[in-house]
Amino acid sequence: MPDDAAGRAAAIAAPPLPRGAVPAGLIGLLLLAAVLVGIAFAGPSYRFLSVAVSTGIVAIALYGLAVLFGQAGILSVGHAGLIGVGAYTAAIIAGRYGLGFWPALPIAAVVTALVAGVLGLPALRVSGHHYVIITFAFCALLTIVLTNGGSFTGAAAGLDVGPIGSLFGIRLDRLRNTYLLVVAVLLLAMLATHLIANSRYGRTLRSIRENELLARAIGINTAWHKIGAFMVSGVFAGIAGVLQAYYLRHISPTLYGAFPSVYLALMVMLGGPRLLYGPFAGAVIVNFLPEILDMDPVDARIAYGVGLVAVILLLPGGVMAGFAALARRARAVVR
Amino acid sequence: MDIFLQQLVNSLSVASVIILIGMGITLIFGLTGIINFAHGEFLMVGGIATWVLASHGVGFWGALLAATAIVGLLGFVLERGLFRFTLERPMNGFIVSLGLVVILQHVVIRIWNSYQKSIPDPIPGVWQVGGVRIIIMRAVVVGITAAAVAISFFAISRSRYGLALRASVADQETAALMGIPVRRYVTAVFVYGSLLAGLGGALLIALFPITPFIGSVVVVRGFAVALIGGLGNVAGAVVAGLILGLVDGLSAGYGLPQWTDAYSFALMILILLVRPQGLLGGTEGPKGA
Repeated sequence: MPDDAAGRAAAIAAPPLPRGAVPAGLIGLLLLAAVLVGIAFAGPSYRFLSVAVSTGIVAIALYGLAVLFGQAGILSVGHAGLIGVGAYTAAIIAGRYGLGFWPALPIAAVVTALVAGVLGLPALRVSGHHYVIITFAFCALLTIVLTNGGSFTGAAAGLDVGPIGSLFGIRLDRLRNTYLLVVAVLLLAMLATHLIANSRYGRTLRSIRENELLARAIGINTAWHKIGAFMVSGVFAGIAGVLQAYYLRHISPTLYGAFPSVYLALMVMLGGPRLLYGPFAGAVIVNFLPEILDMDPVDARIAYGVGLVAVILLLPGGVMAGFAALARRARAVVR
Repeated sequence: MDIFLQQLVNSLSVASVIILIGMGITLIFGLTGIINFAHGEFLMVGGIATWVLASHGVGFWGALLAATAIVGLLGFVLERGLFRFTLERPMNGFIVSLGLVVILQHVVIRIWNSYQKSIPDPIPGVWQVGGVRIIIMRAVVVGITAAAVAISFFAISRSRYGLALRASVADQETAALMGIPVRRYVTAVFVYGSLLAGLGGALLIALFPITPFIGSVVVVRGFAVALIGGLGNVAGAVVAGLILGLVDGLSAGYGLPQWTDAYSFALMILILLVRPQGLLGGTEGPKGA
């Protein structure tokens, strides 16, 4: 029974969560949902909302990356490329076949998942650093292909996208409604990540991360699960891409190059890839705070780099892991 | 035929800079296990330092030596201050280096700006050999690179220090028991690679104008060279650098220049998949993670 084997491997890799732990995570999500929705009705400025929308879109993609890196232990610095696949899929099917936002969501999710699966294939043969560099090269190659794609991809100038269509008479192209849509998708992404992390599937992925040979030895099909993790993270990236294309209304190859990918990977590291709120924290710290605090963009980048180096050296689990450790210590003191 | 020779000569000087950066990466990655994505930024700092000194009236050769030394010092400080804490977990070192990319790039933009920078030609003039025009500075760059390659090659394969270095890569514990200060060798290799990057930066700005964003362009080439040639393999880096330089130069002259970058990436992915140890073979690469 490979399934029992997966459970055993996971038991070795990580102690099982107590039964009561799952609702606690869900309560946190509900609180976050209340806060995020509340913000929309508290009369935020236009700028605040638009920064929040772009941060939320990034965070959705980060949850995909967190499944891949935090659970399965595969680091990819090609994730902006996958967002680009989603965004370009949406833009191309809109321009060629007149398919709008809603059909684009499932189509881009499937296309991006397939591309992510292909991107995952080399991970079966090479691992660690070699693989990281392959994903980096994938991203760089994708940018070149998009730039040289002629009228099909709009070349260096990129493609224009129409507004998001209405749903049940609600105009989603209004900024506040777009924000609520992004919040809804983000919460779904967080919920999905939570469910994956606490499922047998999540334990299987973690057993691969902790000891791939052992996982294989007790009958886990590691190759299939790795590709699966890629495809799951591709779905997140594809949906984020569609949202980004329809939010920005214009996409171009430079958005999806190797360097945006590096920033995505760094955001996940900064926040904490293994924790439910880690990627969210990473996106807020890197994308949202500097804009809202009106930091000079160059200063913000320097602060971000220094912060990242400090976090990796001092709190290898990310900022949220640091908070969790602090909370544990505080609780022990109170008792 | 003359056009072909001309392209060949032009490609050689581009290949030289790629070889310098690739050699630094192959030595650091292959021999110490540190994946330093900021290596391209080291080269950029070398170029900017040359530009700053040259624009303050320092002669090119003095600026070149100073820039090389500055980047060497930068490498020393960063290895001792940051990377040594990540030797056990190379993936963390990689992430730290990504952070350094962001820091170095934006500190340079903060102090100066993000515009293109260039220096006057250190050695103006052109040789006319048959039908081929050789810009003298380019020939000098090729000559300096050849010297750096020769020094690196013999230092690693012939000297007793190179022997000790190879011993500590093969088996760190046994080497340490034999009295080899392994930690110091790690630092030395890192600093040596940084010196090569500084030199590469100084030579690059002598050939072309550079921007603070040049690092990300060259670092990918550098990793391509290191991985195609085989990690830690100087000869492999030279062969791979020549291949990439020629592919660059010839595709710019003949085929489709807009696909130039794609060739090196595609070649790198292909070789990583088919021959992960590189064309000429190299060390296993860093252990763990």
